[in-house]
Amino acid sequence: MTLTGFSGIVVVILFVGTMIAFYLIKRDADRTELREIRGYRKLTREIGRSVESGTQMHLSLGWGGITGSESASALAGLSILKQIIKESAVCDYPPVASSGDATVAILSEDTIRDTSQAINIQTGHRSTGELVGLTPFSYAAGTLTTIRSPQVSANVLTGWYGNEVIYLTSAGERQGTPVIAGTADLPSQAIMYASATDPLIGEELFVGGAYLGGGKIYEASVNAQDIFRWIVIGLILLGAVLNLLGVMDPFSSLLGGVR
Amino acid sequence: MNLKFRALISTAIVIGVGVIVLAGYFLPAITAVRFILLRAGLVLAAVALLVGIINLVGIHLRKLSSDQSNSGYSLILVIALTITLIVGAADMFQTYMFGKPNFQMIKWVFTYIHLPIETSLMAVTAVSLIYAAAYILRERLNVFSIIFFFVIILVLLTSFSISSNLLPILQSARNWIVGVPALAGGRGLLIGVALGSIATGLRILTGIDRPYGG
Repeated sequence: MTLTGFSGIVVVILFVGTMIAFYLIKRDADRTELREIRGYRKLTREIGRSVESGTQMHLSLGWGGITGSESASALAGLSILKQIIKESAVCDYPPVASSGDATVAILSEDTIRDTSQAINIQTGHRSTGELVGLTPFSYAAGTLTTIRSPQVSANVLTGWYGNEVIYLTSAGERQGTPVIAGTADLPSQAIMYASATDPLIGEELFVGGAYLGGGKIYEASVNAQDIFRWIVIGLILLGAVLNLLGVMDPFSSLLGGVR
Repeated sequence: MNLKFRALISTAIVIGVGVIVLAGYFLPAITAVRFILLRAGLVLAAVALLVGIINLVGIHLRKLSSDQSNSGYSLILVIALTITLIVGAADMFQTYMFGKPNFQMIKWVFTYIHLPIETSLMAVTAVSLIYAAAYILRERLNVFSIIFFFVIILVLLTSFSISSNLLPILQSARNWIVGVPALAGGRGLLIGVALGSIATGLRILTGIDRPYGG
């Protein structure tokens, strides 16, 4: 086994261990003080509004699949979809989920159907997981009709996008419906920051479960992320100091695949 | 009960396969097993594409029958999909039955219909991005938005093919912004995204998040 492989296993085990430790030490009554993220506050409000007005939320899962580096965004979007369904259990219409990848479309349909069944919602509606196009621009063009539907009261864009995301955010703006948007792709994050009403920056996309009432384990996952962030910051600073002192940076060789 | 049993089975399969694939990255001894599972995953993804296209056609046929305001687009989509499917099938038939070369008709469809449409959308994107830059100043006027806007203007100006001798200070400012704060900020965001991705992956691997049902 390479040193990199060994350090990878250690990181994975430590991450899971930290999550479980936070989950166990937290009592049910304890509530983690999470910093406020405007996008999730708005999303919670919009869920309530859609319940009251009998409208639908639209969740766009982007065109990324689940086999590449873009998968985490779509999976985070599916987690948010699940929480939206739970929160809007008494809503007349389940949220509509659009995606540009066939596997994610099937997963979104599964998520809507199984979450509805698990919390005993008798929707009586047809499935609302849609594959709308298989290339970035055809996906954007297909999703525009959903965003422009008068039945849709808010849009949540959580998935993998390219520059074409501007069509989706600006369509929401023209329609007068809020657009809460986050992605893992950096250039698209810049576009979302400029054009979405409520952008989710960086890791904010991945903490939806904790902010939308997913429960203790999601909050424990956010705690673990925070701990590891501080560890990474510490290692970067230590590496910089060692470099300044002329000592060889041990982390470069650790991450560089030395046996 | 049926749902719970199905969820149990699917969760066990996901956790088992996920652990093997993850371990395959770190332990060379099981790399071969990882590749077998990944290949099986790719085959399933290809089948999912077929299911997805059936889903796509079904949704648009429903939109057509329900007389929605956007049903014209659905009609165009169904017609275009049918024609492309027929052209592709004819091409495949010619190639494999008569040995004639080589997906010419479907290439024509992509080169002269699909590609120009996507290229023209790409061109419009540039205009839309400038509109977005103006939108941020109108809707969210604060210090960060103003910095964001002026950095865009600076980078745009210095990216044109104007000689750097004409705008030496701006060029240096651009190089510093792109090389120091933008790079540092980008790396910071990527670290956050990486940690979020690890957390999301591990939640799925441990069965906490189950986007596959249950």
